[in-house]
Amino acid sequence: MSILEGLRFSRGDSPLHRLDPRVKFIATLVIFAAAVIFMDLVPLLFIFIVQIPLIFLGRIQREWAKSLKGGLFLALIIFATNLASFYFFQGRSLNSGNVEMALSLTVRFIALITSFSLFFLTTSPDKLSLALDKARIPFEFNFAFITAIRFVPVLADEAQSIMDAQRSRGLELDKGNLLTRIRKYIPILLPLIINSIRRSLELAEAMESRAFGATRNRTNLYELKMTGGDIAALTVSLLALMACVYVRFFLPPLGPVLPPMEIL
Amino acid sequence: MGIVEVRDLSYSYPNAKTPALKGLDLTIERGEFVLLTGPSGCGKTTFCRCLNGLIPHFYNGDLEGEITVAGLSIRENPTHRLAQRVGLIFQNPDNQIFALTVEKDVAFGLENLGIEKRKMLERIDWALEMVGISHLRDRATHELSGGQKQRLAIASILAMRPEVLILDEPTSFLDPLGAERIFRVLDSLNKEHGITIILIEHRLDLASQHADRVVVFSDGRVVNNGSPEDVFSLEETRLEGVGIPKIIQLYKRLRDRGVPLDRPPLSPDSLVRELERMIPRTRPSGPIRKAAHDLDEFTGEHRASPVIEVEGVSFTYPSGVQALDGVSLTIHRGEFVAIMGENGAGKTTLAKHFNGLLRPQAGRVSLDGSDISGLSVATLARKVGLVFQNPDDQLFSESVEEEISFALRNFGFQMDVIEKRVDWALNLLDIERYRKSSPFVLSGGERKRVALASVLAWDPEVVVLDEPTIGQDYAQKEKLRHFLMQLRTQGKTTVIVTHDVEFVADCKPRVVLMAGGRIVADGPIKEIMTDDEALKLASVSPPEITKVFSRLSSYGLPRDVLDVDEAAELLVRLREAGP
Repeated sequence: MSILEGLRFSRGDSPLHRLDPRVKFIATLVIFAAAVIFMDLVPLLFIFIVQIPLIFLGRIQREWAKSLKGGLFLALIIFATNLASFYFFQGRSLNSGNVEMALSLTVRFIALITSFSLFFLTTSPDKLSLALDKARIPFEFNFAFITAIRFVPVLADEAQSIMDAQRSRGLELDKGNLLTRIRKYIPILLPLIINSIRRSLELAEAMESRAFGATRNRTNLYELKMTGGDIAALTVSLLALMACVYVRFFLPPLGPVLPPMEIL
Repeated sequence: MGIVEVRDLSYSYPNAKTPALKGLDLTIERGEFVLLTGPSGCGKTTFCRCLNGLIPHFYNGDLEGEITVAGLSIRENPTHRLAQRVGLIFQNPDNQIFALTVEKDVAFGLENLGIEKRKMLERIDWALEMVGISHLRDRATHELSGGQKQRLAIASILAMRPEVLILDEPTSFLDPLGAERIFRVLDSLNKEHGITIILIEHRLDLASQHADRVVVFSDGRVVNNGSPEDVFSLEETRLEGVGIPKIIQLYKRLRDRGVPLDRPPLSPDSLVRELERMIPRTRPSGPIRKAAHDLDEFTGEHRASPVIEVEGVSFTYPSGVQALDGVSLTIHRGEFVAIMGENGAGKTTLAKHFNGLLRPQAGRVSLDGSDISGLSVATLARKVGLVFQNPDDQLFSESVEEEISFALRNFGFQMDVIEKRVDWALNLLDIERYRKSSPFVLSGGERKRVALASVLAWDPEVVVLDEPTIGQDYAQKEKLRHFLMQLRTQGKTTVIVTHDVEFVADCKPRVVLMAGGRIVADGPIKEIMTDDEALKLASVSPPEITKVFSRLSSYGLPRDVLDVDEAAELLVRLREAGP
């Protein structure tokens, strides 16, 4: 799943990394809302292009490119299914407006991937958890979230070891029909599940030994403090949202870019 | 009153037929460094769980008797209160690290206790400094090496300022260098900061040098308790299946043969001092050593036909870590080879090239003279059987019998052949009585044997064992060694990947030393274990006995002595030859 590759936080230091996660979350929501309320190609392209300087500001071009590459296939599917549905629902005909619509929806998808990448790639899970904490999410949920992220690489390693061990015992995962192939995953899934259960017990022991749940007034090593930059970013985001709403609902629509013509 | 007081402690896990602890009494004084040992399943881990209240607060079951730790009764105080007095550190560092960065993980316990930020930072600084990982403060936890992770686990517990530190086999997954570093950290915490340490270990050769006292557990009871010198000199300790440190074995052997040595030594240094006092520094006229009669001379006849040939192989993981860098190695039919080196030296990566799990990015690998690049793992596995470190990564069947037949079915053996093979493998590993049991109810050592049997069942030409001794106690290691010797006499080509130098010294294989993805030395064990430069490169320290003899060369003694028998023989002869 290389599309998820672009959502994995990589450590770095940039104005975007330093931004308060709550502000960043709101900014991401604004982009999300903008991408959803607009239907036309031009504003959607604009929303996409506006994010590109931010990508470079956060120095996450490479990871972003990876997630775009991962999303490319889905983007093509979106484009193709839209075209196909226009074609069939209009009685086997296609005009330039349909192409533009399909294109807009594809650009919207890409703009959304980009906004998620911007958020997740520059926000450390530690900070995210802090934001959740501030949002009064109970610590147990918060902790479960961080632990899940923490154990992704550990589980990946373990799955690899299990796969190696079973392949060394003659298990051939890529042979046979679909049903036998699915059954062949049992020798891999079972040890993985059993090890995870064993691990959860050990984790619980270790948590107890670290005074988990000792007090209701849990403290946190990191604190969230809004700086001037954060407030500025928040203001810009909210202004942008208002601008979008104004343009979308109070100004006349731009209309199609492509000249109207029949294609098929 | 001691900092730990245990009176008549008995405990049974819920649904267990027999109690895990049976009337245990023990007092530990403030500031002591206690080494706790005993065979697997003797109740050591259960005992640790009692000391910080995991039993009875986390585990139910029947607890009898009284325990007080640092003045707190464990029955009346919840684990989180006890955690501020007693810190418990577990075997697997991965399962006790919670945060994504080092600093934040050390903070975890403090946050739980609701300690304010300024004080938290102070304690984090101190704890990281104590275990020597201050420079890793901002690193992501999953990027750390095993040794660094374990030191982080210690720091995270230390930050809570416990008076007693309990470590349950903390070095099982570490290489000898990582283990020594942990022991040194514990030593300074104990000697300089007065923290009471209770260390559970199988690595007695290294650990016993730091301990004030050794407590031997067996079958839920304390069977021996005293200074390391005394406990290890007692015959009962050996009979309990505890691996007596090599230096003390040598001392006992010498004393039995009439060499009047004083107190039992715990380190090579102290034995050398003792010997220097005993033996006048005069060079004897004749050679001390008789003609050697080593196993590797008998196995020399096999050197003609190569089985596995690795030529100039390089391999880089997708993460960018270069694990192999132009490795060439030939393993001959019937040879017994140990691949040694630090964790991360490329040993396992190399072993995975033997059956095609990994494919060389440069160079080539041949099996029986032909290139393996076109062959599937399943085809290659038929000839090269790989047994992995952790049996839990492969066991999945309902019964031991089925587990062993899994590979045989994959390889398409006939039903009647499978039955015969399973019988044969069950007998070979002495697990016949578990035939119908679920592999999951067996002990760690037994599970390891099931994993081994499940590979040996198809009788591969080459057997490769990855870290076979990890987590195994002395008796289990001995069993494994006998088994390997048996394979060797049958002429089976055997490769072990390990960092257990004492085990290798007992097996006497050909040794291949790796460091940084390259082979830095390759030859008979006696040659390699005296090659200081190569050992240093590979961060492998020689066996304890060899350390002694490297200091005695001024007596005209050879340096390449590995085992207790030969060492005792040479020293006795030297004494007789002297004036």
